[in-house]
Amino acid sequence: MKALDIALKDLTRSFRSLFAVMFMFGLPLLVTGLFALMFGRIGANEGFDLPRVKVVVANQDLHGPRLQAGSKNIPGGIKADTLSELMVAVLESEDMADLLEVSRAPDGAAARAVVDNRLAQVAIIIPEGFSRQFADQYGKAEVEFYQDPTLTIGPSIVKSILSQFLDGLSGIKISLDTVIDVVNTSSSGANPALVGNFIQRYLDSSITQTSDLRETLLDERLPAKPQADEKKEENNLVGILGPIMGGMAIFYAFYTGTAAAESILREEEERTLPRLFTTPIKQSTILSGKFLAVFLTVFVQFIVLLVAGRLIFQIQWGGLAALGLLVVSVVVVASSFGIFTNSFLKDTKQGGIVFGGVLTLTGMIGMMRIFTMGVASPPPMLSTITLLVPQGWAIRGLLQVMDGALISDVVLSVLVMFTWAVLFFVIGIWRFNRRYV
Amino acid sequence: MSAIHVQNLYKSFGEIQAVQGVSFDVMQGEIFSLLGPNGAGKTTTISMLATLLRPDQGDAFIMGKSIRSDPMGVKAVLGMVPQEIALYEDLSARENLTFWGKMYGLRGAELKRRVNEVLEIIGLTDRAGGRVSKFSGGMKRRVNIGVALLHKPQVIYMDEPTVGIDPQSRRNILDSVVALKDQGMTVLYTTHNMEEAQELSDHIAIMDHGQMIASGTHDELVKIVGEMARITVTLLPENQDLLAEWRGIDGVEQITSEDGVHSILVEDSNRVLPRLFETANARRVRITSIDIQEPNLESVFLHLTGRALRD
Repeated sequence: MKALDIALKDLTRSFRSLFAVMFMFGLPLLVTGLFALMFGRIGANEGFDLPRVKVVVANQDLHGPRLQAGSKNIPGGIKADTLSELMVAVLESEDMADLLEVSRAPDGAAARAVVDNRLAQVAIIIPEGFSRQFADQYGKAEVEFYQDPTLTIGPSIVKSILSQFLDGLSGIKISLDTVIDVVNTSSSGANPALVGNFIQRYLDSSITQTSDLRETLLDERLPAKPQADEKKEENNLVGILGPIMGGMAIFYAFYTGTAAAESILREEEERTLPRLFTTPIKQSTILSGKFLAVFLTVFVQFIVLLVAGRLIFQIQWGGLAALGLLVVSVVVVASSFGIFTNSFLKDTKQGGIVFGGVLTLTGMIGMMRIFTMGVASPPPMLSTITLLVPQGWAIRGLLQVMDGALISDVVLSVLVMFTWAVLFFVIGIWRFNRRYV
Repeated sequence: MSAIHVQNLYKSFGEIQAVQGVSFDVMQGEIFSLLGPNGAGKTTTISMLATLLRPDQGDAFIMGKSIRSDPMGVKAVLGMVPQEIALYEDLSARENLTFWGKMYGLRGAELKRRVNEVLEIIGLTDRAGGRVSKFSGGMKRRVNIGVALLHKPQVIYMDEPTVGIDPQSRRNILDSVVALKDQGMTVLYTTHNMEEAQELSDHIAIMDHGQMIASGTHDELVKIVGEMARITVTLLPENQDLLAEWRGIDGVEQITSEDGVHSILVEDSNRVLPRLFETANARRVRITSIDIQEPNLESVFLHLTGRALRD
């Protein structure tokens, strides 16, 4: 009972310290939160927040041949009667709205003036007869691309979109021209009007047979994302955050174990430990209380971090039974490690060496498995090195559980951790007992 | 009956002989002071009596319980006020007292009642919820003492409890020590302050270099030394006839002069002083300064060791 009183007193003191609370809970969550922010935006396909590119369009191709497919047959709800109108409509479509801000100018000069005055970054000028030239077997259809020379990214985006569109059309025209040339040489010749009409029909057919215009023209720019892919992205984010959060929880569990065990030395310096020894309590009970406090502190921290990871970052920690077993073993080994390391210290001033050196070094070695998760083929030695420290086994076990391992799968990790723990605990107890006898 | 019976205690730390054959008895209900300079072995002695240190030789019995064979029995009847403030500064006064009360085996309603009583005794009922870290040095000392009172011990050890505190807090603590005695508790008090030992103690043991060099009541100690009061005066103008007349006054044992300062050894300063003033007035000589040193523990210590207690 008195051991529990001592442990509860220590817990009260620990959780009353703002610094300790920040250290135990704030830091691991903060670090994981930063990773979440970093990967979360990419994972959610928010990408980079580029400003919309201002584009001014002057369509002077007013009397070109009409698309015989008719507006109602063009997918994506785009309404266009001519090829040039189709091009403008694509630029003004909703699919482009997050990239482009399109306005119109009455003629080429006005459009260029808008760019010169820096009211738009790009002017697209479709000359008169563009559609007719495109339909003509020997015609040359060109669109003028006028940009602010001081800018690069915005104009490049527009150029890329436009190229996609025009390349598609050029491909059609080249293939048709080739067919017509063959026809011309093998027969009495072809009627130019018939050829123009042929090209027009081919184009119409090409457009109407396409189920999704955006996909056809701009697939690489804006790939359609089915629901399953979004789910996959989300899982990928959790897949990144899970090991990081788990690694943080283990890394800081060992820190907390050592910091909590340091309270034995602190009480010695504060002279409350000698005073405890003047009360009618056995030394073993006092030390048990102190050790119990270490276990409880690490346990509370670890559980809170796991729950926070689940609630905040939706991390799936794995099966409850295997996870429970692993939590117990991590708590036991982290606490014992703290008792063990502190038993070698003369006073709390030497604690800095442990925190700055031993814990950081062993923690980093243990977390190498997580650091190299993105590496295609990490050196095989790496996994062996990580298992030289208890943190490595803890992380190994946690990753196994997160991958859906059962109790039987994590038995080795758990057994090794318990072996470490027993070793640490026995040495720590022996040293502390000898110190205070 | 002896509340504390100490038999030939020895303790050394490596080459250092901290305590060498200390023996003494403290009767129930009395205040017994261990007086000596820093490093005399007082704290080592009290630490052995509190079972914090194991003696190399000898034994001690606290309320009949051996510190060697029954340390838990000793701890149960003992309240310890350590020299340093041994409290959890991030807990409140009430939380501290409650925790320490549990350590002494108090529970439930009894614990609550004793905590409230002790808060009353140390005068901190109004500040019970305040964190100890926010307390003044004197208030911390009072809580430090309060912890030792929770389980109503039969014997209290107080190891230099007035070190480093203001005069008012010191006064409060000395009064509380006397109050403990009035309640029938036995107090073992260590100090290097001669006035405290003189004011509080029924019996005093003087320690130096780990040994007990004298022991007894204040009067007994002074008698052991047998030193007279010393009156030191300066005169204006110097008058050899006056000094000759003073040598003839009944009770004046000796007068020595050096650099215009005259030291007069007397048996009883209260009886001699009026005569000194009368004769000086009659010869129109002014006594421009006067200092009276009554025989005290300082002079006892000086006599026994050749060193001042404050050195």
